[in-house]
Amino acid sequence: MESASEESPGLVPTDLDTTEGADVTNDSSELTADIGEDQEGSSENVEGEEELSPDAEALKEELAKIVVHSPAIEKIEEKFDPAEFPDSYKNNLPKELLILQYSDNFRRQYVHLYRDRKPLFLNPVNECGVEKFVCTTINPTQLPYKELYDWDTAAEFVADYLDFETLDPPYELPTRLLSPTTVLKRQKGNCFEYSTLLCSFLLSAGYDAYVVNGYATKETCLADETREICPLLTKKEQKVEEAKKKELKKYTVKPPRDLQSKFEMKMEQRKIAAKEAEEAKRRQEEIERQLELEKPPPDPLYGLRIHTWILVLSGKREVAESFFIEPFTGLPYPVDSTNYLGIESVWNNTNYWVNMQDCSNGVQGLSYDLGDCTRWEYMFPGLDKPLLQIPEAEEDLMAGLDEEEDEDKEIEKHLDMPPTWVEPLKLSLKDFQMRCPLGKKSKLYKRAKLEKFAHYLMPDGLISRLSVYDDRELTDLMLIKEYYAHRQDKLHTKIHNHRTGWISEHFYPGRHRCLKEHQYKASAPAPENERTMIFYNEARVDGLKKRIETPLEMTEHFVNRDDFMFYKHVDFGKRQKKFGPQEGSGSGNTRPINKMIQKFHRNKSKQANEDIAELIFLISEDKIQISYHTEDARIVSSTREYIKPSNWEEKGATLKWESDQLHQTFQVDADIKSKKQVDIYQMMLHLLKCEDVCRERVRESEDEVREILNGRSKEDTESELEIGVYDTERNEKAKTHRKELERLQLEEKMRKQEMEIDYLAPFLAQIGDPEKVLRNQAFKLKEDCLNDLKQRLIDKANLIQARFEKETQELQKKQAWYQQNQVNMPKENEEDYLNYCSDAMFRIHILEVRLNRWVKVENLYY
Amino acid sequence: MSRLYDTVEPSVIDEDMLQRAVEEQGPKEEAGKLAKAEGIDFNDVTNLRLDFKNILKIDNLWEFTNLVKLQLDNNIIERIEGMELLVNLVWLDLSFNNIEVIEGLGTLTKLQDLTVYNNRISRIENMDNLKDLQVLSIGNNQLTELENLVYLRKFKKLKTLNATGNPFCENVETYKQYVVAYLSHLEFLDYRLIDEQSKVAAKEKYAMPIDEIIHNEEAEERKQQENEIKQKELQIHTKAYVEYLDGSSLFDSMYAEDSDGQRLNEMPGVDELLAGFKEKFLGVCQKIFEYGLSENEKRQAEVNQFWECVEEAKTENKEAGMKIIGAFFEERKRVLAELGTITDNQVIDDKIEAYQSQINELWDKLMSLELQLVDQLEDVIKDFERNMQEMVSTFLENVKGHLTQCRDLENMHHERMMEISIVTLEKVIKNELDDEITEELRMLFVDKDTIIGAVSSSHDLHLLKIDNKEDDIETRIKNWLSAMMEKIRNEEEIKRNRVRVVEINHQIDHFKEEIDNLDFLQGP
Repeated sequence: MESASEESPGLVPTDLDTTEGADVTNDSSELTADIGEDQEGSSENVEGEEELSPDAEALKEELAKIVVHSPAIEKIEEKFDPAEFPDSYKNNLPKELLILQYSDNFRRQYVHLYRDRKPLFLNPVNECGVEKFVCTTINPTQLPYKELYDWDTAAEFVADYLDFETLDPPYELPTRLLSPTTVLKRQKGNCFEYSTLLCSFLLSAGYDAYVVNGYATKETCLADETREICPLLTKKEQKVEEAKKKELKKYTVKPPRDLQSKFEMKMEQRKIAAKEAEEAKRRQEEIERQLELEKPPPDPLYGLRIHTWILVLSGKREVAESFFIEPFTGLPYPVDSTNYLGIESVWNNTNYWVNMQDCSNGVQGLSYDLGDCTRWEYMFPGLDKPLLQIPEAEEDLMAGLDEEEDEDKEIEKHLDMPPTWVEPLKLSLKDFQMRCPLGKKSKLYKRAKLEKFAHYLMPDGLISRLSVYDDRELTDLMLIKEYYAHRQDKLHTKIHNHRTGWISEHFYPGRHRCLKEHQYKASAPAPENERTMIFYNEARVDGLKKRIETPLEMTEHFVNRDDFMFYKHVDFGKRQKKFGPQEGSGSGNTRPINKMIQKFHRNKSKQANEDIAELIFLISEDKIQISYHTEDARIVSSTREYIKPSNWEEKGATLKWESDQLHQTFQVDADIKSKKQVDIYQMMLHLLKCEDVCRERVRESEDEVREILNGRSKEDTESELEIGVYDTERNEKAKTHRKELERLQLEEKMRKQEMEIDYLAPFLAQIGDPEKVLRNQAFKLKEDCLNDLKQRLIDKANLIQARFEKETQELQKKQAWYQQNQVNMPKENEEDYLNYCSDAMFRIHILEVRLNRWVKVENLYY
Repeated sequence: MSRLYDTVEPSVIDEDMLQRAVEEQGPKEEAGKLAKAEGIDFNDVTNLRLDFKNILKIDNLWEFTNLVKLQLDNNIIERIEGMELLVNLVWLDLSFNNIEVIEGLGTLTKLQDLTVYNNRISRIENMDNLKDLQVLSIGNNQLTELENLVYLRKFKKLKTLNATGNPFCENVETYKQYVVAYLSHLEFLDYRLIDEQSKVAAKEKYAMPIDEIIHNEEAEERKQQENEIKQKELQIHTKAYVEYLDGSSLFDSMYAEDSDGQRLNEMPGVDELLAGFKEKFLGVCQKIFEYGLSENEKRQAEVNQFWECVEEAKTENKEAGMKIIGAFFEERKRVLAELGTITDNQVIDDKIEAYQSQINELWDKLMSLELQLVDQLEDVIKDFERNMQEMVSTFLENVKGHLTQCRDLENMHHERMMEISIVTLEKVIKNELDDEITEELRMLFVDKDTIIGAVSSSHDLHLLKIDNKEDDIETRIKNWLSAMMEKIRNEEEIKRNRVRVVEINHQIDHFKEEIDNLDFLQGP
């Protein structure tokens, strides 16, 4: 398709698919010509009919004015610089040439035998314009990423990593097939390149995988998933556990006689059933209508669109059943999927098979026994492919006749596959982790949009965002699900329901306060509003599982507490506006508590009559109500009610006891001895203490909510990501540490080198590196060396001296300047000057010290 | 342990002293006032301190049955006594007394902490029942034998031991190592944590004797377990009314009192016959045994199922009742709240009337629910009784069938015995007997009547035994059935019903009273 690079000129109807779909031809120029003729014809037709109404004339004129231009498609075939590629990409080995000839021969025979079949995809050119056989383009390469070891994750990776290109035109085989290496580099490819790459990965992972060339629906070819439900949204089918039917035991008591009229009940049921049926029918119709609405428009190229995908046969890697993988989406399909309409050929790195089965019914009912040569015409005989099972006896018979001869022949005859010309695939860790081109990818599904991001790409750790809409045009947003990874605050999912306005955030375990889930209204994130918090109760000391809040209520649920409490409910009153000084700092601006309810499980170690089931502190009424658990054989429970003494709030005051007024009780068992007044009194004291504790707990809970919310908002703004200890690229600390180590190593090396320097070498070089040094030469060497050293020392001393003098001079100058301008000098300058002076003095001092030492050293040598 | 103030007169625990102590140690302030006004019952007291009272004899403590902690330290007590009824005692302090022997602690099975520090005890003993003992302080006593400490091995929960200051502590190292080695579950010795190192070292030193002790203990334990298992099995067998039928006990019992039979068995040729008879007889017994066990299981299953269903029905009923009452409580709350706000007397009266009728309605509902349950249970119990009776009678029939087989066997055996004895008699008469027979046996072969009488009486005895067994089984199983049915009738039908009716009426009365009182208060 060289012509694809040309600009297609002239008039082309805007929608090519709908008008001319049936007789489009290879060449776009021809196509335009055809259309031109068509138009002429039609205009003649119109001219022929004289009796046109003036209206129609006017319409015709109007129409004539409209000139439709084809959109200028500037499609330039991507050119590759051959210099970038190794030899195997640019040339063919003799064996490859042989294979090419062989396959050409195969094709000729094939065309001859099956004139009405489409050409085969055998020898496309590669990026360097060299013809290559498709089987050799597959290069099974294992990469060090475990995701590529399993088919599902590998397919997902390929689907994510590449951007897809459609075939142009969609009913023609491409002429060029890029090597997988180039595809990985470009991160782009058509279905052939996708499949070749994915097949390389799958073969290397040990799957029995093949590239399949055939035909598919428009949606599949264009990777159009807008009619598919997003895989993230399909809920796993929950096992509906049937309510265990009550076993009818031998001695199950008979239910009380039912005094309702059976007939009436039946009529009622019939009515309900009729209603239900109607409802069901209506629903069914609705669904059908919906389906009708969502059906793709008929595709004129149906059955002609060329597509390539992957076939994985059962047998290897514990694959129980053969299936297809769609490379564009990475999703598996059953072998009788309606997405695929026919198969021309399949191949992998060992052989090439042409489908001889009838595909008029799509791919349904095709056999994938590649050894069956009536169904699959192979290209290379006798390769290690499953041959059709020949009955043993026959084989024996044959073997008896001419075994050796046969074998010899076969060895001679067989043309084995040349090694692949493709370089081993390479993928850097960074690229692998980026997954998508530029690390982002978005997909459209039916009423949903999915955006994917590479890990660590987004500063807040977002890895995917799923937006669900109510309509197909994606305008009516229903909810957004955001998935995060590596967040330090352990947030992993955030669901914002735009319908209800609720946001729910899900966290991994390991947070302070053990928060698991947090639901709140987006409009009111502040404390004391409606919210639900779910905790990892196993990790909490107080066993808190759930806390539900509304502005005036707070309910907490507990699990597995030692005190058997499982429920706590608080009713708050309206905040009172207080005038004057406030009571204390603690109760400064908290909501007043009206009522606290605590509920307890049965504590088996106590008697039911003594075991409190519900404890209500009616704070606004100064009452405490208790109800006890019911005994096993009873249906009513004992209760007790205290009215707090009037002076209960005074600290340290003794509480007066008037039993009749302060205490009321109802005991189920009338016979039981009533409690002693002391016990009742002491119980009241205990309850008052309990009330204090309970109130404190409530305040603590409120504080906790506030703390969590503060923490959350802080986390949201900071949103730091956690970096694994082993992630050497991202872990800054580890990186600097490693760099430091490397630097130290380098220094060590340098030092070693320095140590090895022979200071006599330059002098020896002066006398021409003699093998042996004579006596006088040696003396001379010594002299030279010492002189040199002396010279160097002197130079150094001079240097120090010079610097010393320069510093001193400068200082003096500065001092002089200061003396002059001291009077009208701003304070800052003065400070600067003083600083400078002290610096300079320090430098001078250092230089002095050095000079002195130098003098000493010199004296030492001489 | 002579005391400096021996001159002080010894005292006895009496009512006064106890009263004073209880009041002193009881509640304070307002509660104390209340308590005094009401009086404190001794059996409500859980803690009692009687120290430095110069008590010589423990006495008068029997009323303190709920006592958990008792301090009797720093007295001059000489004997541990009078504490048999303090079964709830967990904490007992008898330190600084003049006790010489550990005794009288047999009933204090809940005791965890025992302190007999600074006494004159010379031997650790008589503490077998203190299974829960965790802390033992027995320092400053007259213990001389280290070996005596091995006694403490049986207290598996003992964690803390204080034994310093005894004669055997002279060599501190040996004492410590010995204790650590022999009492391996000990964690604290003389109030110090025993570290891992010293444990290992001590264990090494006394490895041999300890191993032996452990071995013995294990053997003992195994034996005990086996015994227990056997006991349990026997219990099951007894419950199935086929105890000992898996062995030869019935067969043996047939011959146990049958001296003639035993003698007759010595006749030549009886050996084989007897062996065959025994084998067959035991086979039938085994059948009865197995059948009995399987029937017992069936009966158990039936009983369990019955109870399960009864419980189910009761819970269902209970839930229904609770639901009704719960709904009423809501209603009551609403009505009471409403009454609080209304001032118009006429309206109040109307409301109260309505409420009262609601109470009556509640009564109706609860009672009808109860009646329904009574009906249901009655039906079920009848069914159950019928089925059980059927089961029992089938069981008895089958057992009888088997026992009839036994009788047949016995009859056959008897005939053969007869033959043999007659043959033998002839031989004896003709003096043709090959073997010598015992004198006793020879005595039977006096004449034909005697021998036939002997054989027959033996046979009758055997049949009697079998009949006895049959009767035994029959009476026992019938007794069991009637007792069970009686109990079910009493407990489930009558007693339960009464309690529930009382309960309902009580609650209804309470509601009525409440509203009446309210009425009264609200009245003009």
